[in-house]
Amino acid sequence: MDDDVSNSLRRMSTRARKVAPKMAAALASTDNRTQAILARLEALENDNPGAEIVEPNDDDDDAAAASLDEDDDLVFHKKHPKGTKRKTRQAKALETAKKAPRTFLELLHDANLESLPPHVPTYLRAAVGPPSSTCRRHFCTVCGFSAKYTCVRCGMRFCAVRCQTIHNDTRCLKFVA
Amino acid sequence: MSSNVVVVLDNGGGLIKAGIAGERDPATVVPNCTARPLSSKKHLLPDQLLSPTSDLTSAIIRRPFDRGYLINHDLQSTIWSHIFSSLLHITPSSSSLLLTEPLFNLPSIQRTTDEIVFEEFNFKSLFVSDSPSLVHLYEASRRPYDVVSKAQCSLVVDVGFSFTHAAPVFQNFTVNYGVKRMDLGGKALTNYLKELVSYRSVNVMDETFLIDDVKEKLCFVSTDVARDLQIARRRGSDNHFRCTYVLPDGINHTKGFVKDPIEAQRYLKLSENGDLPSQSDETDEADQTEAKSKPSERNKVDLTKNEFSLSNERFLVPEMIFRPADLGMNQAGLAECIVRAVNSCHPHLHPVLYESIILTGGSTLFPGFAKRLENELRPLVPDVYQVKITTQEDPILGVWRGGSLLASSPDFDAMCVTKSEYEELGSARCRRRFFR
Ligand SMILES: [Zn+2]
Ligand SMILES: [Zn+2]
Repeated sequence: MDDDVSNSLRRMSTRARKVAPKMAAALASTDNRTQAILARLEALENDNPGAEIVEPNDDDDDAAAASLDEDDDLVFHKKHPKGTKRKTRQAKALETAKKAPRTFLELLHDANLESLPPHVPTYLRAAVGPPSSTCRRHFCTVCGFSAKYTCVRCGMRFCAVRCQTIHNDTRCLKFVA
Repeated sequence: MSSNVVVVLDNGGGLIKAGIAGERDPATVVPNCTARPLSSKKHLLPDQLLSPTSDLTSAIIRRPFDRGYLINHDLQSTIWSHIFSSLLHITPSSSSLLLTEPLFNLPSIQRTTDEIVFEEFNFKSLFVSDSPSLVHLYEASRRPYDVVSKAQCSLVVDVGFSFTHAAPVFQNFTVNYGVKRMDLGGKALTNYLKELVSYRSVNVMDETFLIDDVKEKLCFVSTDVARDLQIARRRGSDNHFRCTYVLPDGINHTKGFVKDPIEAQRYLKLSENGDLPSQSDETDEADQTEAKSKPSERNKVDLTKNEFSLSNERFLVPEMIFRPADLGMNQAGLAECIVRAVNSCHPHLHPVLYESIILTGGSTLFPGFAKRLENELRPLVPDVYQVKITTQEDPILGVWRGGSLLASSPDFDAMCVTKSEYEELGSARCRRRFFR
């Protein structure tokens, strides 16, 4: 099952993919490993991880359009660059930008929970926090078996040279296929 | 209409459970999302997504929830409106509403929710509850002589869609200062499985509905990860975990399916040392399959048929709930999460809480879940305390059933906030009545 059979899946989407903006920022950062982990967690909560990731409340007009019904079409911009259609979409996007749903993290930021007195239970204080045990098991991110080695660039684990090669070729510092 | 109709709406990030108070089960359980199939311009509504004929290949999903909280109220009210009128056939203006909301919901989200309930739908009155207290209520009513109802206390572990909570409940109220949350739930598990399958065999990054199905049918919780990893390394039919999932072809079938369900369930018969018992009926079964195809070929992936095989992914995915740190998440696992929740309560409560752990939420349905949790929890709990874990009879409907029970109790009317009270007092002051 390690064989590359992706060609066999002809019906599956061939939608363009690219590294998410957050990921791009992460790569520019000095601390690749921490940023890579954050981006990975982000990917696990993403509803359409295969598609291009859009930031719903960016200043960018593309992103503003993402809020309403057009969000899906964004993905196809690269394939169908229609100037006129895009313009109307921009105008519409500006109109609706205020109404655009915001991410939970933005709402959380606005709620300013840090300002509440320490005895008040909040979303932030309910977080379970890091594990106490330091003995961590490591699984190869390629094949799933126990992994002795850590990638020096991104911190992900692999078990042998074979898996290291696959890691370097396909997923090192990439979280979107 | 007889007296007052109370609509019970368990508004989860993954599934909406909706129905009429007093009934045992919700009238409708649908995904809380809309999705647009690749081939279509229109978004399908939640109940349409469940139709066996709808082709959801590469569908783009829109959810009103983000990280477990309601962020897109427009989308949510579109979905609600459809549920009220087409699935429940109720008139909000002559009904009351019992609505669930996530723990630690933000005031800004509560305000918008109240606006929709009273100003857009015009419900007569509203009661808002969290899930743990409803789960507790339901379990206490089911086992009146158990510690859960005698001590009026339990520890509700809810493995949800975007997060998992360990929530102590005392005297029928959720003890907010004791609640602990892991930022992991069913959605992350599905996405993790997508990643594994996409890296190892076929690209399924866009196939949320398909991989949800794979996860629900094939994943399980290992009670001995080291042993199971060894078994998963074996070749051919000695690998008791290997099984094949067939992708939809869009012509003969629009849904995927497990190729050989009996083969997929083999692992349930594994003995302690990881061997399959060789019973006589077992060999009969094997003979029959052998007649169709040789065992060595049976496990091979047929490239022309659009299928993929799974082996260690089946248990490595739910493993994330128990050891998030192994997968690079800097969070304690479920057992430690429970211990921390208990420890933030008064020491008098510790023994009763450990003795009344209730598992709820769809992800607790993985075979082996409760057993593994007990194995991990036991060494962390003082010897003198009992550890007793029960999974709800139906972990998906448990919250709704508690809501149905509460909403049909004689006190319910008095607990609600009416539309005129809302108009007079506003959202924030009304909200204070729901929680202590
Ligand atoms: Zn490996
Ligand atoms: Zn790397």
